[in-house]
Amino acid sequence: MAQQLQSINLVAPAFKGVNTEDSPLAQDPSFAEVADNAVIDKRGRIAARKGHSATTTNKTVLGSDSIRSIKEFRDDSGNTKIFSVGNNKIISGTTTLVDETPGSYTITADNWKMVTFNDKIYFFQRTYEPLVYDNASSSVVKLSTVTSASAVADIPKANEVLAAYGRLWCADVSNNKSTVFWSDLLIGQNWTEGTSGSIDISKVWPDGYDEIVALAAHNSLLIIFGKHSIVAYQGAESPANMILADTVAGVGCVDRDTVQYTGTDVLFLSHTGLKSFGRTIQEKSLPISSLSGNITKDIISSLQTENSFFRSVYSPEEGFYLLTFVGQDVIYCFDVRGTTENGSYRVTRWPGTGFTSFTRLEDGTLYVGTSQGISEYTGYTDNAMPYRFKYYSPSLTFGDSSRIKILKKLKPTLVGANNATVFLKWAYDFEGTYSTAEFTVGDQITGFFGESEYTAVEFTGGALTNQRSLNATGYGTSVVVGLEADIDGSQLSLQEINVMALIGKLL
Amino acid sequence: MDDDIIDTDAIMDMAGGGGNGFFDFLGSLADYATQPGVLLPGILGGLLTGEAYGRLSDIGQEALLGFTKDGVKIPGALDLAQTQLEQTEFRPFTVTTATGAGFGTKVDPITGEVKTTMDLSPRELATQSQLLGGSRRFFKGAMQDPFAREEELYGQIRDATMADERAARLGLEERLAAQGRLGVKTAQFGGTPEQLAMERAQQQAMAQARLGAAQQARQEQAQQAALGQQFLGAGYVPQQQLLAATQPSQQLAALQQQAQLQGAGLFGEAAMSGLEARLIAEQARANLLGQMGTGLLSGAFTPQQTSPTASFVGDMVREFGGLFNQGD
Repeated sequence: MAQQLQSINLVAPAFKGVNTEDSPLAQDPSFAEVADNAVIDKRGRIAARKGHSATTTNKTVLGSDSIRSIKEFRDDSGNTKIFSVGNNKIISGTTTLVDETPGSYTITADNWKMVTFNDKIYFFQRTYEPLVYDNASSSVVKLSTVTSASAVADIPKANEVLAAYGRLWCADVSNNKSTVFWSDLLIGQNWTEGTSGSIDISKVWPDGYDEIVALAAHNSLLIIFGKHSIVAYQGAESPANMILADTVAGVGCVDRDTVQYTGTDVLFLSHTGLKSFGRTIQEKSLPISSLSGNITKDIISSLQTENSFFRSVYSPEEGFYLLTFVGQDVIYCFDVRGTTENGSYRVTRWPGTGFTSFTRLEDGTLYVGTSQGISEYTGYTDNAMPYRFKYYSPSLTFGDSSRIKILKKLKPTLVGANNATVFLKWAYDFEGTYSTAEFTVGDQITGFFGESEYTAVEFTGGALTNQRSLNATGYGTSVVVGLEADIDGSQLSLQEINVMALIGKLL
Repeated sequence: MDDDIIDTDAIMDMAGGGGNGFFDFLGSLADYATQPGVLLPGILGGLLTGEAYGRLSDIGQEALLGFTKDGVKIPGALDLAQTQLEQTEFRPFTVTTATGAGFGTKVDPITGEVKTTMDLSPRELATQSQLLGGSRRFFKGAMQDPFAREEELYGQIRDATMADERAARLGLEERLAAQGRLGVKTAQFGGTPEQLAMERAQQQAMAQARLGAAQQARQEQAQQAALGQQFLGAGYVPQQQLLAATQPSQQLAALQQQAQLQGAGLFGEAAMSGLEARLIAEQARANLLGQMGTGLLSGAFTPQQTSPTASFVGDMVREFGGLFNQGD
């Protein structure tokens, strides 16, 4: 007797992002096994990320290198200038990149950190004399050449710098990984006079020894990140009197460029994943929920194999925190608008983007550094090139892993994806080979009734949805359903996938 | 020298202008004197006058040297003076106090020098020695360089305060460690403000300790000088007490001396009154004889209305004068 098809509707699949921690069989279908080049869109659906559009038209200065860091300089007079680093140069501009490296100043590394402070932008990198720029001088100069600057030997050649509480704070100097230096009040070039000073926290580390990696200012605290611990001082407005507020052992920061402020928390990447300082402070050294708890092992694996830079950015406009492992050319996109049941952010993965740096401008524009120069995070191509959106569900058992499932039809509902070629994939029983059904969405018109004459604003129907019904083959006890599409100019959101299957006999 | 030699002729000239003039006068005088109414009263008067003169001379000598009367030696003025000198001579005396100290005076028999001796009792001597020794030690201490004492006092003060300072430093270190601020270095304070404040306080305490030590050293120096002075004064107290104890004795000795002098004076006055009475009596007797001789002589040489007659004595005088003329 013919059996009735059983419909399993995957509504808003993967809206909880990737989960590689839980057992595939026990997973909620709201998670995804793979969500590449995807974000969680404003409707909570998994969707293709935006692409980037190169602003730079002349990147002679950059050569074949990539932009390693970007920073917008803005002073009180409203003067702005985009600085970036790459190809062992200090670079300015977005369209035509201009070499701003001071004369007779040799650079052999591009791990600069730039901060704006008191109408100046400062450049710090370990073993290098810091550089400074202001609009009045209109040139990047050595810090020691500025009026009232300390001598070169007295200026910390630090790898980390922070502008907070009216001073520059810096740390991570060669052969001195436990001292935080602070400049004179409002005078970023003076490190020996006035109220400047330093604090050696080698005796403060909660686990006996650590090395300063990053600094942050949050909630009237000066937060000092070690590799494996965190030390927080309160009263940093008067550094000579600031006192230890808290210490956290076992949680540290991997790299200074992973630290981002979200307004309520300070996000940073530890050796065990993405953490939030605010929560860490609340919970102190008790077990804490990792914000990357759904991909912890993936993060750790990436950490262990990374041999280049870490870069990150927080974009409230996009609602994500991007963390890139430059050496592996992979980005983890954490949706910061909400967390899953385990307290983790929803996360997707962007592999092969070529993004090597980010910065968010004052107006919310997200700049991306690539080998093409400086790009803006916008549109749905990577500098006019398509990129592949991928979604794969976890293994689905439809509630009974002991019975055979025979897929009959797959009915995806897509939003957008104009002219996109979509590949619907499925596989049984954890096999790595997928069956594929390809279809092209076609050139869609947003007018009512599909008529171009109704594409005027007053008649538009908004983003188009596309529903297809594809026949599936094969059988197995568990099923993985996937969807891939090359994003080439149009957004794509996966609204749902309706799986029609026959439930077979017991095995 | 030839001018000083006077020859016989010159003498004769002076006697009578040459010839027998002078001797003639003498012969006339002899003629007068040898008259019976002149010669006997004249001789008697001369003898009485001579006796009076001789007695007056003896009275002066006896008043000076004394004489013996009826086998009794009557002292003269010299004897009396010697006697009074002996009577008023200083008589040595000694004083012995209740504590055994002695004060004595004596006159050197050879030089006549008056010598005073003071002897303290053994106990007083021991006390004096102790006090003077203490005074010497105090003065020695007062004369020492105060810097050494200052250093010693400073060290003592530092020893006393160092424990508290160390405790304060450790306390601050613990607080700073608890606050995670041990490693703070600032251009403004060097370290933390608390460290600077504590260091400043401790440096001030050290400076005050130094100042206090200096003041204390000088106070002790002054105190030692005062004690030395006090001991020195006290060391002479037995001697002063001995001297004080001799005051009544000296007054008694003075009274004795005064009585001695008064007695000698009375003795002298009494002796001198006897002498004076005798001198007056003898002087009166001599005067009486002198008056008698004077009367006789004046009677003998009072011119009478009878013509003078040659006398044997006058003739002899004149004849004697003629001898000188033969030589012419």
